[in-house]
Amino acid sequence: MAGPRIRSPQTRSTGECRLEDAQLAAMLVRRCIAGDAAAWEEIVQRYHRRIYNICYRFSGSADDAQDLTQEAFIKMYRTLSSYDVERGAFMTWVTTITRNLLVDHFRRSKQERLTDSLDSAPSEHEDAMPLGEQIADKAAPPDSKVQSREVGEFVHGALQKLSPDLREAVILRDLQDMDYREIATVLKVPEGTVKSRINRGRAELARLLQRTYKQVM
Amino acid sequence: MAMETNNPMQCSEFDSLLSDALDLKLTGEKLELFQSHARSCQNCGPLLTEAEQGQRWLKSLEDAEPPAQLVNNILAATTGLDTVRLRATSPAQISWLDRIRDWAGVAVGPMISVARQPRFAMSFAMVFFSLSISLSLAGVKLSDLSHIDLRPSAVRHSYYETSGRIVKYYENIRFVYQMESKVREFKRATAPAAPAPVEENRPRRRNDNTSEHPGLKEDRNYSQGPNQVMLASCPQNRPVAIARNTYRRLS
Repeated sequence: MAGPRIRSPQTRSTGECRLEDAQLAAMLVRRCIAGDAAAWEEIVQRYHRRIYNICYRFSGSADDAQDLTQEAFIKMYRTLSSYDVERGAFMTWVTTITRNLLVDHFRRSKQERLTDSLDSAPSEHEDAMPLGEQIADKAAPPDSKVQSREVGEFVHGALQKLSPDLREAVILRDLQDMDYREIATVLKVPEGTVKSRINRGRAELARLLQRTYKQVM
Repeated sequence: MAMETNNPMQCSEFDSLLSDALDLKLTGEKLELFQSHARSCQNCGPLLTEAEQGQRWLKSLEDAEPPAQLVNNILAATTGLDTVRLRATSPAQISWLDRIRDWAGVAVGPMISVARQPRFAMSFAMVFFSLSISLSLAGVKLSDLSHIDLRPSAVRHSYYETSGRIVKYYENIRFVYQMESKVREFKRATAPAAPAPVEENRPRRRNDNTSEHPGLKEDRNYSQGPNQVMLASCPQNRPVAIARNTYRRLS
């Protein structure tokens, strides 16, 4: 049994960068509250990509992600004066707002899905077949195309099959590189629960994708 | 569940250390115990492998590129700002609305320019005025039109309802006429026989200048004009009418 593989550290931001980001964000927030429109524009420029990616990976739809990102910034703009620099990092605060919107959106869309399922017959593509059978096997080894768009779509599709609790945990950890304490703050659960959800989410995702590539894995 | 008796690590502890192990935060003896447990436990070993693979899959995902106009939309939705700098950075895109507007300007523009001439404008105004007056006299309100249900079933229902109302209306009118005629017949049948009216007692109408004796006018000379003079007496001859002003020469 092989042990944990070493991950390249250069792809992740360091604690110093985080501190600088936090200080810069706090300064921008102060200027923005003082009425500086350019500061707000700077905040939007700095964080829109990150928030859009959280929304996109969670909702699975580019259109929904765009709407949710816009909603998140509107809510942020209205409640910016309530942000307390001493209580936590700006990024954590922003992510909390985004996550709350995502939860609301998930509940709404879940209700719509339930209504749709009552109106229409169950789809074989979605309900009967497992993910490994839904995704056509192109017989290409995953390592050779790990950066390809096709693989990205497969992983993105498998991510949507995870339960919302596991999905948001792995997104914040593995895609947004937040630490466990920040994730625990955003999700409002203990750190142990966060770690457990992350582990279960990663394992479940691997099982889903293994079915796709079971003959080569 | 630890399978090896000499490994003190339990599955719950392994689970709590799994994240740290994947983050490369385990070192020394703890790491060795962790790896030893992963090798020996049938549950935790596969879990470690799957979690590691899942982490690699997730790390392989690249950031999704947000739409180019997202920042502009956010700024417009929050502050209403649409700065020149942002417009310069974002690629110029012509929306479908602008394209339709341009196309409509080319296609409909000449017609609109003709319609804007005073004579056509006055004609349109008169037509509009006439229509609005006709509709208001007919009792049609625009607010009522919005409530009209144009579904086929609703239209069919309205048709049957209207035709039924019309039939009912004419049935009622026929009934009323029948009742009136019956009452009239009944009155005529029950009234006593009245004597014939006396001519002398009959009141004369207001402009009735007749003598009511047309035989008295038989000898009247209708060729005689009102300006002609009548001779006072002419016992043997018939009265001769002499014109007062005559230019005829008597021979």
